[in-house]
Amino acid sequence: MDNLREDAMRCKKVLELLSRFIENDFADEESAEIKAHIDKCEGCRKEYEAMKSLLDRLETIPLVCVPLSFKDAVMKHLPEKKDEDK
Amino acid sequence: MVETKELLADPAIVEKIVGGDKEAFALLVERYQKGLINFIYHMVGHYEEAVELTQDVFIKVYVNIATYDKNFKFSTWLYRIASNCTIDHLRRRDPMAASLDERDEDDNLCIEPASHDLGPHDLLEQKQLEKEIVKSISELSPLQRELIVLRHIHYRSYEEIAKITSLPIGTVKNRIFRARKQLMERLRDKR
Repeated sequence: MDNLREDAMRCKKVLELLSRFIENDFADEESAEIKAHIDKCEGCRKEYEAMKSLLDRLETIPLVCVPLSFKDAVMKHLPEKKDEDK
Repeated sequence: MVETKELLADPAIVEKIVGGDKEAFALLVERYQKGLINFIYHMVGHYEEAVELTQDVFIKVYVNIATYDKNFKFSTWLYRIASNCTIDHLRRRDPMAASLDERDEDDNLCIEPASHDLGPHDLLEQKQLEKEIVKSISELSPLQRELIVLRHIHYRSYEEIAKITSLPIGTVKNRIFRARKQLMERLRDKR
């Protein structure tokens, strides 16, 4: 029972730290501990893979185009600067 | 010697503008328009609104150009102004709402073509997932949304995000880690 509780606590902690772990934001020793847990715990491994997949997907979100006349519109609307601003 | 203005670094262009060369501002617009429209679009969720707001941001940048401090990266200063304008705009537009429910439908948008070699079924699946991710981002609070957009759509470093948002770097990291977790939970709810 104690082991089960201990495992659940470890999973909870690892899940809290996943995002930081993916960014290599830990010292080597701590990072190795998290990695060892992920390697042997299927639940945490799935979460790790889901988080990695989300981050990969975020980087492929399509970008919107700039309207062709955008620069001209900005330039047309620029106010005249007062002499003392120069 | 002929000067190629396009090759000038940002601070040199700023110097020209401050010196009265209004046309030099067009170079900065060209350089940053795509990034800025996309940043603002992912914050406000409406294309036309994003274009209009981006135009306002550039005008504000022009008016205040003499206050730019060359010790900072120009893009950081620019995004800081854009960030303030966008958050103010969102507060004015919908002071109570933390999320954006009426985002543009994909069909109305001019989306840049992505290079892919997926079959029609996978492509459809990918588009659906992209839509769900964008929707989930829009459901984050404006501040969380801003952090996710800057980090993951605009690839800004934590240091730069800290300068743009005026938050300590540790706070930026913690908030981004928390926002990612929320994003994953929201996506899971939609699947």
